[in-house]
Amino acid sequence: MASVTIRRLSKVFDGGVQALHELDLEVRDGELLVLLGPSGSGKTTVLRCVAGLEEPTTGDVVIGERVVTHAPPAERDVAMVFQTPALYPHLTVRDNIAFPLELRSVADAQIARRVLEAAQRLGLESVLDRLPAQLSEGQRQRAALGRAIVRGPQAFLLDEPLSRLDAPLRIELRGELLALHRALGATMIYVTHDQTEAMTMGQRIAVLHEGRLRQVGTPEDVYQRPADVHVARFIGTPGMNVLQGRGRGTGEEGRVIEAGSLIIPVELSTYEGELQLGIRPEFVGLCAVDKGVGNADVLVVEPLGSETLVHLNAGGQSLVARLPGFAEVRVGTRVGVKVDRRRLYLFDAAGAPLA
Amino acid sequence: MSSRLWAAGATAAATVAAVLVLVVVTTAQRRYERAFALRMAATTAAYVAAVTPPPPPPPSPRRVPRGRRRAAVPAPPPPPAPAPQSPAARSYDLPSLLTQAHALRTLPGWSSDVEVYFGTAPLVDATAPPLSPDDLPHLAAGGRWRDGAALVPLNDRAGQEVVGAVAVRPRPVPHGPLPGGLGFAFPAAIVAVGAAATIAFRQHSLRRGGYVGAALLLALAGYLDVWAAARQSTDRWLVDTRRLLTEAATRLPPPRARVAITDLAAMVRDGEIVVGEPAESAPRRVRIDGEQRAVVAVLIGPGRWIELRSVPAEAEAPKWLILLLPGALLGPLAIMALRWAERTPVRSRRETVMAWGFLAPAALHLLMFTVGPAIYAIYLASLANFRALVRDPLTWNSFVTSAAYALYVPISIALALAVALAVHRYRERGGWGRRLVSVAFLLPYVSSVVAIALLWQATYHAGSLGLGRPDWLSNSHTALLALMLVSIWAHVGGQMLVFLGGLDAIPQAYLDAALVDGAGAWRRFWRVTLPLLRPVTWFVFLTGVISALQMFTLVFVVTQGGPFPLHATDVVVHRIYRTAFGPQALGMASALALMLGIVLLIFRWPQLKLVRRQERHA
Repeated sequence: MASVTIRRLSKVFDGGVQALHELDLEVRDGELLVLLGPSGSGKTTVLRCVAGLEEPTTGDVVIGERVVTHAPPAERDVAMVFQTPALYPHLTVRDNIAFPLELRSVADAQIARRVLEAAQRLGLESVLDRLPAQLSEGQRQRAALGRAIVRGPQAFLLDEPLSRLDAPLRIELRGELLALHRALGATMIYVTHDQTEAMTMGQRIAVLHEGRLRQVGTPEDVYQRPADVHVARFIGTPGMNVLQGRGRGTGEEGRVIEAGSLIIPVELSTYEGELQLGIRPEFVGLCAVDKGVGNADVLVVEPLGSETLVHLNAGGQSLVARLPGFAEVRVGTRVGVKVDRRRLYLFDAAGAPLA
Repeated sequence: MSSRLWAAGATAAATVAAVLVLVVVTTAQRRYERAFALRMAATTAAYVAAVTPPPPPPPSPRRVPRGRRRAAVPAPPPPPAPAPQSPAARSYDLPSLLTQAHALRTLPGWSSDVEVYFGTAPLVDATAPPLSPDDLPHLAAGGRWRDGAALVPLNDRAGQEVVGAVAVRPRPVPHGPLPGGLGFAFPAAIVAVGAAATIAFRQHSLRRGGYVGAALLLALAGYLDVWAAARQSTDRWLVDTRRLLTEAATRLPPPRARVAITDLAAMVRDGEIVVGEPAESAPRRVRIDGEQRAVVAVLIGPGRWIELRSVPAEAEAPKWLILLLPGALLGPLAIMALRWAERTPVRSRRETVMAWGFLAPAALHLLMFTVGPAIYAIYLASLANFRALVRDPLTWNSFVTSAAYALYVPISIALALAVALAVHRYRERGGWGRRLVSVAFLLPYVSSVVAIALLWQATYHAGSLGLGRPDWLSNSHTALLALMLVSIWAHVGGQMLVFLGGLDAIPQAYLDAALVDGAGAWRRFWRVTLPLLRPVTWFVFLTGVISALQMFTLVFVVTQGGPFPLHATDVVVHRIYRTAFGPQALGMASALALMLGIVLLIFRWPQLKLVRRQERHA
């Protein structure tokens, strides 16, 4: 196992699209790092640069102590699992798993032993002689994992391996992947756009947005202390409410931020002018009209059982409140809005956090 | 639809189908009866013409009394010039005609009633209505069926003018072997309708109820009846004609002491008469020179036997199956359709009916111009043709030549794949150069084969690309090779296009995975790309072989099967063409085409399976 280091990595595609902007990232030896970002954020490009499937325009990729920026994939000793299982349809599961070993001219007996080992680890012994078409989705993705682990690579690159599975299977395989990571002590880079997956799996999460690395940190870090407004919006289901507001240092109510129909008192020392106000849905509450920081119209009510999401329109600003249990709210009515003032996040107009 | 109503509908459909079969059977029986009657009438007319003497020359007024005057005349007048005979002289002696006609009526063992008209007047049954004066000129155009009788012209002795008519009304005879002269079809129809009613009212499946079997049995029974009717029509003619021939042997006018076989043969133009041997009286079927013939032995004098032969009408009875089988299967089909309609919800029923509506023109076209001719070809190609073909070395030569020619396919496939791989790589880099390459390879593929053929013919004649002075096309050892070269050149483009599509369809993930796993370009091709292209390769190979075996134009334009006498480029389709427009004509060509068709099926089968598998994957 080895660490993976990315230094000032940029990638400009032939069409002139810049997918990555000077990315710096270090994945420690034995760490499971999740690369999280919406589609088009460049996370897969990072992975392909590490694998050697794409050549970076500038910057370096280091695996272990070795700079491999321009080395072909075969010389990097990394394994990759793709979104589609990419099992060769003409080979049995056994031959698929054995494929990378055969390419390395490993002795037959050893191949057989290691394939069986990998299959046992993934619960695939009974389907080793089937063709991929005869497997379930989950078995197929497991077999793809088997092909990756069988040769004990320096690092695993996982490109949304679970995104095509249905929800229960995804949760099941997520657990298996975590167990696998612990058992192998492997360095893993796991790409996903699903922030729930990122929160549950990653020791650290690297959040990508428009080809730039926005934040690297533990799940708690990125949730509690988002590095900018993009991270704040992206993390959480639903993400953080971000209101466009205007700060007023002085006024009848003291220091306030006006955002749409809301006037929210803040404890910020001084700030005036355009800013962005963030608040997570769980810290937004409803009350009687005119009793809160302002009034809003109820647009949509989503009862989820354990909680209810209420989508509001507060003078042109949209806002989601997360209420416990089934809330008695009617669509089309006007309600008062409460916010937990200690849980406010303030960003400047460009999205950077304010002290 | 209630199940009772449905069952009634199903039974009605089965009844309609059964009635249809019965109608076909009855029509066929009537046709064969009419055919017999018309044939018999023609034979009778010929008989009458042969046995009736001409009218006596008009008596001159001075020649009375006859006997004495003749003796007194010292020198007989020179006989009148034989031609031109006057119409009257070509006609018949009326009293003799009357006698002959009456004799026909009392001819023992005849199965028909006969009437002979002289002019428009009936001779046998004088009280019968005469013909209308318009009838005779009409009859000159040929016999016709009227009022349950076959009416044919009675020509004058020289066969020049219609002087009367012969009508033959066949007496009803039992058509079938069952009591009441019933055939098999009627009881089979009842059984079939019964079976249909059973499955309809008891809600059995079509497969279990045995109705399909009953319907097939009905078709078979109907066919047996038709076959029997055909056989009967030939047999009746043979037996009745035998009667006429025996009669003619004694009545043919003097001066012949012994009747000549040729005189009798003139009476039966659509049959054959040869010297025969004593035999049983019933008509028999014998094989003469590989052809089935119906024969009967005829005694025409003491110890003189002849054999009367005819083509048996039942030989072409199978054509009625074309009507009988669909007619009988209409019932099960209708029930299937009804079942389907009962089970299927309204909208999908409507959509299916609509879909078939749109398909109908194409299906009809297919039926008329593909299925029809194929069946006709099978009909034309008799077993004898196959036997002759198998013995013909040119047949085997053509198959071997075609097989050798088809060997170009693997070569062109390998080339096409190589070009496709190159173009595919090139395309990944982007650019219009790829298009240029594609067009260069595709141009021959989309060009007219005739144009290509002429171009290459000129090229070879001009010195075979400078690769040797002698023209490759005129050398038996190289001519086929030269054509194969042309075909490779012409086909690489199209095959490349298919491979290009196949390469595009390979998900990039497979190749990426192989790359990360450490496979080099060579291994990626052999272990990933080529196996994934296997269906495409099979497709290109099979369609290539099929079209190679069907190749015609190139040979037709460039070599015409030569150089001769080795027939070095005489491929199968060209042989078919040569045969069809050669002396042995269509039957042989059809047989050869069928042989090729069977070979093509061998290649078509895996291709269809391939297509089906791809549909499943899609």
